[in-house]
Amino acid sequence: MSDIINAFAIASGAFTGALSRFYITEWAKAKFDAKFPYATFAINLTGCLAVGFFFTISQGITGYPPELDLLIRTGFLGSYTTFSTYGFDTLTLWRSKQAIATAFYWAGSIILGLGAVILGVAIAQIVVR
Amino acid sequence: MDYLKGRYSLAVAIGAIFGALSRFYIIEFVKAALGKNLGFCGTFLINVSGCVLIAYILTLAIENIRIISPELRLMTTTGFCGAYTTFSSYGLESKMFLDKGEIIMMLIYWIGSAIAGMIGIQIGLLLARASPKH
Repeated sequence: MSDIINAFAIASGAFTGALSRFYITEWAKAKFDAKFPYATFAINLTGCLAVGFFFTISQGITGYPPELDLLIRTGFLGSYTTFSTYGFDTLTLWRSKQAIATAFYWAGSIILGLGAVILGVAIAQIVVR
Repeated sequence: MDYLKGRYSLAVAIGAIFGALSRFYIIEFVKAALGKNLGFCGTFLINVSGCVLIAYILTLAIENIRIISPELRLMTTTGFCGAYTTFSSYGLESKMFLDKGEIIMMLIYWIGSAIAGMIGIQIGLLLARASPKH
């Protein structure tokens, strides 16, 4: 039974996370006619911030339900953020002959992503203390 | 506002549920097979294989090697690949290596994922271009 509840928690998080990403990306595409993938960049960074925050919360609160962790982290944040689109966006930028933008996007995503996780952890530590 | 159409959203949602559950079960399997602390190997495998898959499908579609309907493309790429791969777990796992003081492992995983992802993208691209045109 707990397997079904776990799967249901992940699935609920997954479709809301993926649709949030889809709507933000499409909205940004329509709003800003830019070659740089601002939407995916922002999504991955905010997702990293949130994962640092919720991971620390889940560790810091006794009796935090594991299903909630699966819903938020594995389901929602896992689907909201994406590594495959990040890779493909890098290739697309590279092909449009924007070397500096490509380097910034490729390295910037992982550097700022790690920074965002650290920031998320720090914010959560203020909350749970 | 074309993207707000119900069938596009439904396509993304269906792909996402399968993608996220595949990721969860693969990581659980890796943890059971290799050890509880080696879940990051699963994330690495997932992120690289997801890069191969998205480059394969998008190259087939963009370069007109296969005719893929927008719904099927959204379901497999934005939905499945997007939910299957994850940037948040990757960031968190990199941070955990830092916390444990395993700087070399952290650098291998952190930079290695970004490099291996780009190699995966190239493999997917070449696989798509190698498939016969219809």
